[in-house]
Amino acid sequence: MSFVSLNFESPTEAPIKLTRRAMAKQRTRERVLSSARRLFSERGYEGTTIRDIAQVAGMSTGAVFASFADKAELFDEILTADYEVVIAQMAVAAREGATVEASLLGLFDVAYRFHTEQLPLTRASIAVSWTRSDVAERRYRNDLLQVFRLLADCLQRGVAQGELKADFDAKLVAEIIWDMYVANYRRAIYDSWSAEALLERLAKQLRIVLAGVRA
Amino acid sequence: MGLRDEQKQATRERVLEAARDLFNEIGYDETTIRAIAERAGVSVGSVFTTFASKAEVLSHVMERRLGDLYSEFDRVLPYLRGSTADRLCSIFAIHYEFETRRVKLFLAHIAASFSPSNEPGITPFGRNERLASMLVDVLTDGVKRGEVRDDLDLTLVVDSLKAFYAWNYRMAAAMGSDATAMSAVMDRQIGLVAEAWRPR
Repeated sequence: MSFVSLNFESPTEAPIKLTRRAMAKQRTRERVLSSARRLFSERGYEGTTIRDIAQVAGMSTGAVFASFADKAELFDEILTADYEVVIAQMAVAAREGATVEASLLGLFDVAYRFHTEQLPLTRASIAVSWTRSDVAERRYRNDLLQVFRLLADCLQRGVAQGELKADFDAKLVAEIIWDMYVANYRRAIYDSWSAEALLERLAKQLRIVLAGVRA
Repeated sequence: MGLRDEQKQATRERVLEAARDLFNEIGYDETTIRAIAERAGVSVGSVFTTFASKAEVLSHVMERRLGDLYSEFDRVLPYLRGSTADRLCSIFAIHYEFETRRVKLFLAHIAASFSPSNEPGITPFGRNERLASMLVDVLTDGVKRGEVRDDLDLTLVVDSLKAFYAWNYRMAAAMGSDATAMSAVMDRQIGLVAEAWRPR
């Protein structure tokens, strides 16, 4: 499977009837986004400045600020674009699994492979997510809702299929599965674990947690 | 200790205290070494002769705080009573009680644990042997008492518990939850895992 993110350097279909001015503005945005993506991936969030991004994009810092309010907004835009790509693929993978365990592992397999392929960006996004403003945190929680809905669907299906008992706190289970999934990235960051190794570990953790809610 | 060493030690203390307060008041990213030096009343140069980087300062701030916390645990641990789950709940509740006094500082500590650093002076969250071994001890004891399955990968369980523990701090940050609310959530999470480790 290959992942195509929305703001990689690729010409997008211009919507019809854009004025020349609007098109130029759109192109500037895209240039800024693709330069920013490259720098965030190479240097992380802290190590990247708007000035660097402008330089790589071949424009003035003023021109960057005309499209984005600040570095945080630029970073969020990149993450959201990635997120839309990966969540759609996670949803497909989740539907393909025959059991609860298989669908959960299927969707996390997609996520681990996507995010380890661009580890510096992933690392930066997790690190930043702990110290962001309230506004950014609320936005992030909104994105997370989609993931939690996917996880809840998998668990619900497990109940319907008679694998899991009917009376457990699905929200709590979804949350702790998510915590384990995120925390495992430290192994990729510090110990260079592959996506496969991360998934294998998560599989063991899942087995422990699910044992408590099996029918 | 010579006069020079004493001075060095005093500088170190002042720097760590200033950094702890700044990280918590304005945030880690926003705090510069220059600001730390200024608040500590020392020169920027002398901060750098003691610590290699801001990341190292954070690591030492946390190490010192946790040192205090763990000497408290040395006193308390022998008196923990109740089931394995109860004991774990108590350990985490004490942590929450302690860390919610400086939530922003702790969040910076977790954030830093996702930024790899090969500097030797740094112990990121998750690599703290003391917490891990304390939790493993409680679980091992639970195995002995027949409360916990004996074929369980205890390290894996402990790592998972630590993941829940850390994530719950986001509640504190996002919703202004206090230590009691966080402990209540952690209790339910531990309860869920306890359901899974029960021998059957």
